[in-house]
Amino acid sequence: MKDNNAKETAFYVLLFYVLLLSGWQIVFKAGFIPDYLFPSPAQVGNRLWELGSDGYLFPSIRTTLLRMVVGYVIGAAIGLNIGLLMGVLPIANQCLKSLLLGLQTLPTAAWVPISLLLFGLSDHGIYFVIIMSSVPAIAIATSSGILHISPLYLRAAKTLGTRWYGMPHRVILPAAFPAIVTGLKLGWTLGWHGGVSAELIKSSVGLGFLLYMGRELNDAAQVIGIMVVTILFGVLLDRFCFGIIEQHIRTRWGFEKRT
Amino acid sequence: MAKTLPRDTEGPSAPAVKLRLTNVSKTYRSATQAIEALTHVNLEVKEGEYVVFFGPSGCGKSTLLDLIAGFETPTAGKITLEGKPVTKPGSDRLMMFQEHTLFPWLNVIKNVMFGLKNERAYRFRPGKQRREARYWLELMHLEEFEAALVHELSGGMKQRAALARALAPDPKVLLIDEPFPALDALVRAKLYGDLQEILIRTKKTIISVTHDPREAACLGDRVLVFTPSPGRIQREIPVNLPRPRDINSPEVGAYASQIMAELESAAHERQ
Repeated sequence: MKDNNAKETAFYVLLFYVLLLSGWQIVFKAGFIPDYLFPSPAQVGNRLWELGSDGYLFPSIRTTLLRMVVGYVIGAAIGLNIGLLMGVLPIANQCLKSLLLGLQTLPTAAWVPISLLLFGLSDHGIYFVIIMSSVPAIAIATSSGILHISPLYLRAAKTLGTRWYGMPHRVILPAAFPAIVTGLKLGWTLGWHGGVSAELIKSSVGLGFLLYMGRELNDAAQVIGIMVVTILFGVLLDRFCFGIIEQHIRTRWGFEKRT
Repeated sequence: MAKTLPRDTEGPSAPAVKLRLTNVSKTYRSATQAIEALTHVNLEVKEGEYVVFFGPSGCGKSTLLDLIAGFETPTAGKITLEGKPVTKPGSDRLMMFQEHTLFPWLNVIKNVMFGLKNERAYRFRPGKQRREARYWLELMHLEEFEAALVHELSGGMKQRAALARALAPDPKVLLIDEPFPALDALVRAKLYGDLQEILIRTKKTIISVTHDPREAACLGDRVLVFTPSPGRIQREIPVNLPRPRDINSPEVGAYASQIMAELESAAHERQ
């Protein structure tokens, strides 16, 4: 994309958000809904500022992110290995595919009750929910990515003397990498859903807990504020973490010209 | 370049047999029928020889290449390389495919290093792998493109990079399935030149498959004419022309006509 174009796009995106906030402010001013249910952008900002200075917000963000990182790393490792197994072993694929597709249709929050029963109110339950939410998507994307590798790459690797134990890390995973990244991204999003849902019910710190506390205190400003923070982190991680990897893939594989 | 070319020091004795096929047959079986793709193929390929499998599509020439490469196993008969039976794919019988099959997740030099990583002499020695890969890229006039990504190369450059990748592990026999079909005539002529230059410098043993009589005459020391259903070697035509040969020269053209005539008479004979 040209530099000019990028600046223009940024301008329109900024304008869109200014208009969105203005619209919000106008609806607030019109007073259709009482302000304890529908706060203004300024009230939401204020509440976030208070949460920040009271020492609630940042420990919560840190805790939620830390839980996500730990749970997601474990989930990704499990998902990748299941996906790899399914990709190279047809019988594993046939057995696990329907199960994983079924699990993927389960709303992530549906893992919370069973995790409460299994782990009580400990942090382990939150990890459990994050892992169970992210594994199916990652495994399915990995296996289907592997099954769609051009057989020519496998033949080329074999004739170049690659032995069976070299195939996964030298050919199969790299060739399926674009599909795997898509799965990892989806897995992160679903893990994030699951993690915050679990925190709603069984935590005393974290973004989910702050949402829950806001509801308990009838504090709409806090609820909306934390929702905005949660969305913001989702977008930022998507853009900067996965965005960079996806950009790298697009240039490397020739989906997009190198700049 | 510190590369020894063994051919110059060769003694007066006749070249040894590199690859031997004895009574090789291949039958594909499905639930309802059995298709005989190849029957009773006998062949000896000598050290440093360039043999071309020539014939119409469906004559089993690509199947035979797959058998030699180890992608398929013969239903009957024996294939040996330097006396050892062929059982699975390996870099001693390295195959080049119709498509370049360069790995898009690796840049050009990493592609050339790919096979070297599997060789005992190079394993875990990235510096040595890189030096060797550079040697072959220079030979292919691709030294300026070693850091390029695969999709940044032109069609001819991709095939030259694939050739560099195939030659780097020093295969005992190089197998080429329809070299350079998807290229325009000018690029092809250039690649035939490059391939022959490599041939003269390294004296590689090569088998390639084609249905283009001119290509067969240009590249082969010996052209084997295949006929279909079931596939078998029907004629053998030695090509006695000095190298490098120009694919557009009248001498190559004369041999091409002879190869075509032999194919037709062989086909009649079978009927």
